[in-house]
Amino acid sequence: METGGAPACPSPVMGVYDRPFWDSIQARRCALQRCGQCGTFRYPPGPVCGSCLSLDSEWTPISGCGEIVSWVRFHKQYLPAFPIPYEVIAVRLAENPVMISTLAAPPSDGRWIGRAVTLTYHRRDDGLVLPCFTLAESGRPEGHPDAPLA
Amino acid sequence: MTGSPSGLRRTAAIIGVGHTDWRGDWARTRTGEAVTDSAGYAVRSFRNALADAGIFRDTIDGLIVGPTTAYERVGELLGIEPRWGGQADAANAVIQAAMAIECGLAETIALVYGNDQRSRGTQYGGPQAMGAENYLSYVYHAPWGLTSQGAIYALMFRAYQAERGITDAELGEVAVAQRRWAQLNPAAIMQKPLTVEGYLDSPFICEPLRLPDYCMVNDGGVALIVTSADRAKALVERPVFIEAVARQDVNLRASSLEPRVTEFYLPAQQRAAARLFDSAGIGPEDVDLVQIYDSFSVHVPLALEGYGYCAVGDAGKFLREAGIGPGGALPVNSSGGHLSESYMQGWNHQIESVRQLRGECGARQIPRCRYVHYSSDIAGKAISILYGR
Repeated sequence: METGGAPACPSPVMGVYDRPFWDSIQARRCALQRCGQCGTFRYPPGPVCGSCLSLDSEWTPISGCGEIVSWVRFHKQYLPAFPIPYEVIAVRLAENPVMISTLAAPPSDGRWIGRAVTLTYHRRDDGLVLPCFTLAESGRPEGHPDAPLA
Repeated sequence: MTGSPSGLRRTAAIIGVGHTDWRGDWARTRTGEAVTDSAGYAVRSFRNALADAGIFRDTIDGLIVGPTTAYERVGELLGIEPRWGGQADAANAVIQAAMAIECGLAETIALVYGNDQRSRGTQYGGPQAMGAENYLSYVYHAPWGLTSQGAIYALMFRAYQAERGITDAELGEVAVAQRRWAQLNPAAIMQKPLTVEGYLDSPFICEPLRLPDYCMVNDGGVALIVTSADRAKALVERPVFIEAVARQDVNLRASSLEPRVTEFYLPAQQRAAARLFDSAGIGPEDVDLVQIYDSFSVHVPLALEGYGYCAVGDAGKFLREAGIGPGGALPVNSSGGHLSESYMQGWNHQIESVRQLRGECGARQIPRCRYVHYSSDIAGKAISILYGR
């Protein structure tokens, strides 16, 4: 990058209920709200359980296990922070919510749907830690877990 | 289960339609010229719709404007002092007009849309992705690089493709068929021939979607005049009736995109279809033309399956073998739609429905057109309108 440094990355939505989620990510212990009444996990965070309307919830660490349900590859660049090509995935978490994320060290074969993934963390140039995933079969991502995404 | 039949059966009708010069304004705006603004496009299309209906402005006692213009300002410019009004997207504008007429809140309502999205440089991806203020999903996933509306449809289509087996070439039939319709429509912007081979050679924007899967972004306006069925019969020779309407929304887990990537809105469309056809007393086999909101080509196979025009899982085969273009088994988006005619956010689909039912579409006219089904499945709302003559 030039002297201006890395291009600005989009900031997370940070409403009243988002702070504990992002705090858990920065601590690398991703937690989601779990309904205190019916046990349903909630994502994105919010003030009420969409299943039973209970206002009670507890921030609960998640297993980090999931499965890819879809993915795309960007060929048009919209933001300098995301040079093309790059991939975005949709993961069905073991706790049920779908999470939009990225694959650390994505393999090239492209047959990703149905593949098991494991949660890991990626530290952006601006210091923010983001949750991302590795294919479960490939074990830990190559190199340091903070290595930039491909 | 599906609820009682809609009370809006043939209670309101469209007596006038108008639009702006999409092709001419496309050429002018691409040279950097600012032809007019959103309200200006709305005003121009209203003038055309009024002339088409053959009525005077003071007959109008209701006004609905599209989401891209300010209600008060458009009313001021049009010089209309209505006794009822509102703001809505295309499908909801038609439904709300029929409801207001049925309830006696107004009798003759102008529905007016204008959009200067091209000359203003509106983007549906990137830092100012339009719609972001209304839908959490459009901004929530941006830190991971999901930064465009097209990407949301690409995610949806990849999973759909894996589950139902539709091929890239079969999806390409949508853009190809709509381009062939557009070539029969003098008002359509995109006229260059497109083949499936040409489609497959087109660049990916967000893979698996290619450039021809995306709608264009152009300036323009559309207007309709809606009145009570009785008045319509007295005023014009060929009123087009709102036969039935139906809607089913999907809000649960919408922000995580789950209903899109795991169900492809199928259950919502099936519920809306049951209500629509029960209410009208006809089935999909009686429909002569299907008008599908097509910001992306992906909407078309989803609606074909969701509304029962083909079996679930057969849309790819249907597109390839039965066909939706000129001469095909089921005409779809006979004006060229958003992909090839004009991106008027569903509004151009309404006026094409009216013109086909009136029988004034020239080279692209569908013979003996009796029923037209408009389907819109954007942002978790499966909305259908059945038009008839």
